[in-house]
Parts: sequence; C-alpha cells; structure tokens
Amino acid sequence: MAIVEFRDVSRVYRNGEHEQRALDHVNLSLEEGKFIVILGPSGAGKSTLLNMLGGLDSPTEGTIIVNGKDISTLTPNELAEYRAASVGFVFQSYNLIPTLTVIENVALVKEIAPNPLSSHEMLRAVGLEDHIHQFPSELSGGEQQRVSIARALAKNPHILLCDEPTGALDSETGVLVLKLLLSMARDMGKTIIIVTHNQNIAKMADVVIRVKNGKIRSCEEQAHPLAVEEVDW
Amino acid sequence: MLLKKLFRTLWQYKAQFISMVIMVALGVGVFLGFNVEWYSLEVNTKEIYDATGFADYRIYSDRGFSPQDLEAVKAIDGVSDATRFLSINVSVKDDTDTLALTVSENSAVSGVLVMAGEPYNAEDPDGFWLSDSYAAANGIALGQPLTLTYQTLSISGTVKGLVKSSEYLICLPDSTQMMPDYSTYGFVYISPVMLDGAIPALYRALIGSLYHQINVKSSLDKPAFVEAADRALGTTRLILSRDETVSWAEAQGEVNEGKTMASILPVLFLAIAILTMVTTMHRICASEKTQIGTFKALGFKDRRILIHYSAYALIIGLIGTLLGIGIGYGLGWFIMNPDGAMATYIDMPSWTLYAPAFTWLVLLGIIAFLMFIGFLSVRKMLRGTAADALRPYSPRRMKHLRFEETKRFKRLGFGTKWNLRDCVRHKARSLMTLIGVVGCMVLLVGGLGMKDTMDAFLDIFYEKAINYTTRVNLDAENMTLAEGKALAESLEGDWAASRAVQIGDRGYSLEIYSVSHDLVRFVDQDMRIIPLTDDGAYICSRIARDFHLKPGDELSFSPYDSTEHYTVPVAGVLDSMTEGIFMTAAFADKAGISYQISSVFTDSQAVPDHPRILNQQSKRSIMDSFDVFMDLMNKMIWLLVIAAVILGIVVLYNLGVMSYTERYREMATLKVVGFQDSRIGRLLISQNLWLTVLGIFIGMPAGVGVLQYLLTALASEYELKLVLGPATWLVSVLLTFGVSLVVGLMVARKNRHIDMVAALKTAE
Repeated sequence: MAIVEFRDVSRVYRNGEHEQRALDHVNLSLEEGKFIVILGPSGAGKSTLLNMLGGLDSPTEGTIIVNGKDISTLTPNELAEYRAASVGFVFQSYNLIPTLTVIENVALVKEIAPNPLSSHEMLRAVGLEDHIHQFPSELSGGEQQRVSIARALAKNPHILLCDEPTGALDSETGVLVLKLLLSMARDMGKTIIIVTHNQNIAKMADVVIRVKNGKIRSCEEQAHPLAVEEVDW
Repeated sequence: MLLKKLFRTLWQYKAQFISMVIMVALGVGVFLGFNVEWYSLEVNTKEIYDATGFADYRIYSDRGFSPQDLEAVKAIDGVSDATRFLSINVSVKDDTDTLALTVSENSAVSGVLVMAGEPYNAEDPDGFWLSDSYAAANGIALGQPLTLTYQTLSISGTVKGLVKSSEYLICLPDSTQMMPDYSTYGFVYISPVMLDGAIPALYRALIGSLYHQINVKSSLDKPAFVEAADRALGTTRLILSRDETVSWAEAQGEVNEGKTMASILPVLFLAIAILTMVTTMHRICASEKTQIGTFKALGFKDRRILIHYSAYALIIGLIGTLLGIGIGYGLGWFIMNPDGAMATYIDMPSWTLYAPAFTWLVLLGIIAFLMFIGFLSVRKMLRGTAADALRPYSPRRMKHLRFEETKRFKRLGFGTKWNLRDCVRHKARSLMTLIGVVGCMVLLVGGLGMKDTMDAFLDIFYEKAINYTTRVNLDAENMTLAEGKALAESLEGDWAASRAVQIGDRGYSLEIYSVSHDLVRFVDQDMRIIPLTDDGAYICSRIARDFHLKPGDELSFSPYDSTEHYTVPVAGVLDSMTEGIFMTAAFADKAGISYQISSVFTDSQAVPDHPRILNQQSKRSIMDSFDVFMDLMNKMIWLLVIAAVILGIVVLYNLGVMSYTERYREMATLKVVGFQDSRIGRLLISQNLWLTVLGIFIGMPAGVGVLQYLLTALASEYELKLVLGPATWLVSVLLTFGVSLVVGLMVARKNRHIDMVAALKTAE
C-alpha cells in the first residue's frame, strides 16, 4: 500500500524576475515500511522533495498525499500538527536544542505528539541509555545523530525523513547510524526515506530514486538489498 | 569596497543599530540636557549678579544706618563697595497689589539692569524703575503714572524704566509662597532723592535713618566679615551672607538640583546605552565571524579588519551623540527658556544655553569608549589563525547547574527548562533585559513618586496646615502687643510674631504663635498635624539636622540687635516651609522672649481698615502660585514617563531581536518537530515576562532608593517626605509589564517567518 504519493508536484522559487524550478512535475508513489534512498547531485531537488514530504515547504503545483491525506493544502498550523504526528526528521547537522539534555531533547516531543513512545526506550534503542543527562555539546557527532534519531522515533511517526544523516560523520560512525535506521525499517516497520549523494547507501535500500534537475530520473526497487556490513564503505 | 560593505551591514542589522543609536542619543541627551540646565542657570544668573552688583553681605538694623555707619563699613579691609539700602513692601494705590519699594544709595551695589526705558538716575525726583515682569503681568507701560502708598504716606511718579534686579531674582513676598506671582507682587526702584522728597522732614527726624540695611560687596568669608563689621559698627548686627538670601539660595538650589539630576538620570541612561552597546556589538561581531575570518583568510591585516568593524561603533557613537546633543539642548531649552518652566520662577534677563566644558570631553570619551567596545568585540573574533577565525562563533557550552539536581527542577516542563538554561547561558543578554526593566521601573517610580511626594507635601502644608482664609500682615514695629492682640481678637484669629535670631553665626526666623482657633497647624516629621505644647521650642528638620539636635536637647539662640541670649529645651522637630524655630506665645512669655505681633490668621470675610494693617494675603493666592509649580512638575514627570517607555521599548526590543536571532535555529528545530508558531511565541514571551517580573521586583526598591536620594539632595530646599501612592505602584508596574508584553509580542510575531529549511541547513 502506498504511504506517499506525489501527483504532478512542482516547486518553483522566485527571486525577482529569476525563477528556479526545484521540482518539475514529479510523480512518485512509495510503499510503507520500506528503506528508501533518494540519490542525486547537489541542486538536483532531492532535499526539496524531502521538505515537501516533511511539511516544511508546500508545492507550487500538484498534490502530495501522505497516509491518504492531502498535505499540499494544509495551513501552517495544520502542517505543524502533521509534522508532530506523522513524520520524524533527522538532519545532517543534528539540530538538537543545546540547552536541553539528551533525555529532555527526546522527551520534548511528548509536548506535541499524539502517540509518543517512551523517551528512555528510544534512547535505549539507539544505545544512549548511559548518556541521558548529558548536554548535546558533551557528545560526539555520532552520538548526537543517534539522539536526533531517538527524538524522531519518539514521536512514533509513520515516516522517518533523513537528510544526509551521515554527512557529518566519519565512516565508522556513519555505518552505525545507518544500521540503526535500517533496523527501524526492518524491525519497527517504519518507512525510512534518506536523501544522500552517497551511492554506497543506495546499495542497502529497498527502493532507489534518482533525481536530477528537479525531475525523477528513475525509481528502482532492489529485490536483494545488501546488509550494511556487505557494503564497501 | 569595504565602505559599501559597511553600509550594507548597517542596513542588515538596522534594528540593532537604530536601538543603539537611540540609546546613545537618549543617554547623551539626558546627560547634556541636565548639565546644560544647571550650567546655563549658573552662567545667566552670574551675568545678572555681576550686572546689578549683587551684594555679598547684608547688615540689618531696626534703627537704620547713618552715612557714618556706611563709611565705617566701607573702610573695612576686604570690602570693595557698599550701599545703604531700603526694601519695604508698599501698596499700589487703588489696587490690592504689593510692590517691594527699593532704594539703593549706590546703584553699583544691589542696583538694577534696565531692560527698557531711561537709564537709572540716582537724582531723579519722580521716576519709577519698575520690575518688567510685574509691568508685563499688569499691563503697565513706560511713562504711565503710578502712586504707591505706605500707611498714611504716598509716593507718586511715572514709570521711567522697566528693570530686573538680582536682589529680586526670585521675587517672593514671604517664605510661604513657593512661586512668584507677578500679577500681584513685584518690586520697584526709586532714587534716594525721590525717597527724601516723599518722606516729610518731621517724620524723618522722628524715625532717624530710613535705610535699615547696608549691602556690601566683599571678598571676606562670613566669620571674618561679621567680626570686622561688628567692630566697625560697634555692636552685633544681623548679617546675612548671600547664601542666606532667597535670590541666591534658591537659584543655587536650582543649580544644585540640576547637578543632582545630572548625576543620577544620565548615569542610568548612559550605563544602559553602554551595556546595550557591549551586548549588541558582541552579537553582531559573532554573527559576522565567518566574514571576519574570510577577510583574514583573504589576506586582510588584522588592523584593517579591526578598523573596519570598529567603524560601526564609531558611526553609532557619532550619530547617537549628534542626536543626543540635539536632545540635550532641546531638554535644556524646555526647562530654560524665557517662556518656559524656569522663567516662571527665576526672573533673569538672558536665557542663553551653555554647556559646561567637561560635557564635551565626556561626549568625546563616550564616542571613544563606544569605539573601544567595538574594537574589543572584533578583536575577540579575530583571535587565533585564519582557520580559527573562519569557524562560526559557538556560544558557551552548556554546563549542568546546581539547581538542576533538585526534584522540583526535574518536574519542570521543557519550556521552563529551556528558558531557564537560556537565561543562564546568555547571561549578558538576560542581565541587560533585567537592567532595561529595572531602569524603566526606576524612572516610573521616581517620576510618579516625586509627584505623589509633592502632592502630599502641598496637601499637608497648604491644604491642611493653612486652615485660615486670610493672613493679615501688621506693621509690628509701630504697634504694641496689646494693640495686636486686640486686632487678632476682633478678627477671631490666631496670631504670630516673628523675630530674626541667630544660632551660631547663622540667621534664622523665630516664629511665636498663639493658636486658639485652629487656624494655623504644624506638621511633624511623620507628616502628621500636631499641636505645639508650652514645654519648649520646636525646630525645623533642617536645623535639627545641621545642629544635630533632637527633642530633649537644649537650643541656644540670640535675637539680632539685642544682647539677649536664650537657652531653651527642644520640644520637637517640625517639617516646615520656613527654616526656623517655633514656639507658643505662652512658652515665649515663660522664657522671657519679647515680641510684637506681625501677622494675624483669620477666617473673617471682612477685614476692617486699620492703620496698622500692611496688607492681606488670601490662601487662594498662595494656592494659585502652586498651580504654576505643579504644572512645571507635571511636565517633568511626563518627560520621565516618556523616557522610561522609550528606554523600555528600545532595550527590550533590541534584546528581544537578539534573543530571537540567537535562538532562531532552536526555534526552527521546534517548528520542524511540530511545535506551532503560537506555542513557540509563548515560550519566547514567557522568558521576557519572567525577567520583567524580576526586574519589577528589583525596580521597586531601586526606584524608592533613587527617589529618596533625590529628596535628600533637595532637602536644603524643601523638607520632603517620600510618599508613594498605590496608583503610582499600579501605573509603574502595569506600564513596565505592558511595555515588556507588547515588545515580547512584537518579537514573537517574527517566528512565523522562520525559514525552517534554511535555518537547519546552516552549521551549528
């Protein structure tokens, strides 16, 4: 069953007379519980696609259906509710609140999410149960990214959106993070969508979408994705 | 190229730059304004003192002074000039007005400055040189005939000149009046020749010299002069130095008041301006750090970069100071102009504005200091290698605070924890917000509290203590005690006698009262009405303070022109308009102090014609003069309230924007996670409101402290007791809270425009 559908979606940025078409009549359908990788060079439109899906931005044209609900016409407050209930974000630069501890960063989603999961459980799942009272600045990059994943998961979202989640990490830590994300899809049934320009990550994906110049160039299902350990990093 | 960048950056941070310029302009304006006020007053009054030969000493005698006495005084070493002088209140014929008829034998001392008409002529037989302010208030023109009466005598002539005199710089008929009222009271000079012609020879032969005063120009200090004068005249005289005259003491009081104001309010404004500059320049330089690093990496020398970024502070300093000079002179002009507030009090010929030389040095110092703040902020960002400089500025790392270990803290919501830690993390910003709120509160409590205090002062001293409708002044010298008592009896009034006395070498007034109709009342130091007992003398707070006297102590004084000496117990301390000693007639009789009745206080509507009645003064006329005073006070209070609101808005808005910028990324994260704009706005506002509540609590006692300091500084002029009404507290708290809330809402509205994608792409 399709959890995400893009129907003829375009996003145009205008700056005076200059017009930039970041997404150009995109059509896409994604299945639930898959580990999906969106590949493309810088400026291809992959982050714009992710932002549309995450409710951070709205399309200029077209419709985006998530879990049967059209999110392209939602008001800013409705979009906030959508983000609170349906999607979790993981960014390249972690985006944790520096004045909140690890556990507080994760627990803050309880303030807004309708069905939050236990913060302690999520931190245990990402292997940070011993660091819960530390501030983000006291953790390594990989640990911070794991907190970010725990926070995203704590909302109990249908979809986890990850924008270059390993971009700021060394390869060893990156592998750990990817393993974690993969287990979320395999063990918890979450739909994981990763935007990256790292071709290697695509090898472990169920679906690989290639984007260029704001258009979907290909959308391939991989019958036998590799395990994280099998990928040559 | 760098110049282009400079202007573009100024535009980019326009909110912060405008805030800093406003704060510097306000600080400089208030600093310069109050200094211009007192210094202009000092210079302009000095001009009239010099132009009219304001006397340094006044020697008094009930019997008058002969030409030989004058020569004896002139012969004293250290006396440069002297004159026999007469000042006596006379009535204007067919009018209720009173004029101080004045004659100075030697017009170089205690003379006049002619504003219009003929030069003063000491030989003129029928010319009046009339106060120009009195003439203007009563529509009297040059050449107009005028007749003045004193008891049975009358003096007629024409107005030949309109003048000012330093002897009447503050033209008050007596110490109960706070403000001059030229519509009913003024002064007039005539020549000695005209005086001689007006007084019948027989009368002159009977009373001896008409001149009861010798006014002296002398460089001697008071003890030396008193000793020399007493030796020269062969007896002890009442001698008052210029410090003890209304015209000098009150004008100097205004100068000192200006100096006090110039030492409190500007410090508050300038301190806030400088602290705002420190926090804002640091923030701007932190935002510009990667650009600073880029310049360094490109090969720009540190010196060039330092000069470039210090120029921002210089521009702020220059624009702020220039605007501040305009505000300062505007404020100075508001107080010191011929049609303004001060002109209703002080009768000066010139109202030119002057700034003391040191203010320009201070202004240069402020500009240099602001530049130095800019310099230090950039230097901090330039530290280390070019690679270090290229790294974005990272705020201080979070550390666990002791109070986080408490159970109560752990139970707090995330918003509260977030805000608490943010306050601690950005201490400078939080402290500045607090100082801004405290400053706003201090100005409001101080300004409105001053009004409450003055209102209470006027209420107790005039509405309650003056319980009569008319004060009748008598010719005490020419009537017996029995006559005076009979007159008071016929008017169903209370009465008072007044004598000049000295305690040590300082002159005071001894007031003896007989109160049987509750028409005159006395106020103690707690602003309560109390009756005078017959157990001793009461002293005013200023005498108690200056001579360290308290109830139960003994007070020694001696009347002038007599060899009597009295030591009496102090029965109590009063708050009083008059600087003096007070006692009941019964106690004066017991102590053997002689006196003549000089005033009767009555409610009687019909005061009969009586040859010994000099004039009458209604309570209404006294109260009317306060309206002018209160109008002046209200204008000053409005200025303070406006300044408080501007200060509050500018400081809080600037810091609010700074807080918003610093937490932009955090708010973007919250927004991405799913927090709604209104919720994020509430988080932002709540931090502002906490600091506001804390600032209000600190501002309350701080405001009281500043007000008390001001009142203490003004204590030589008025015996004021600090009073703060509930309305002042309410208005101060609500206005401060309102300013904070409105500014908080203005800043919180900005979070609707957070670009989540752009914010989260940037590096931490």
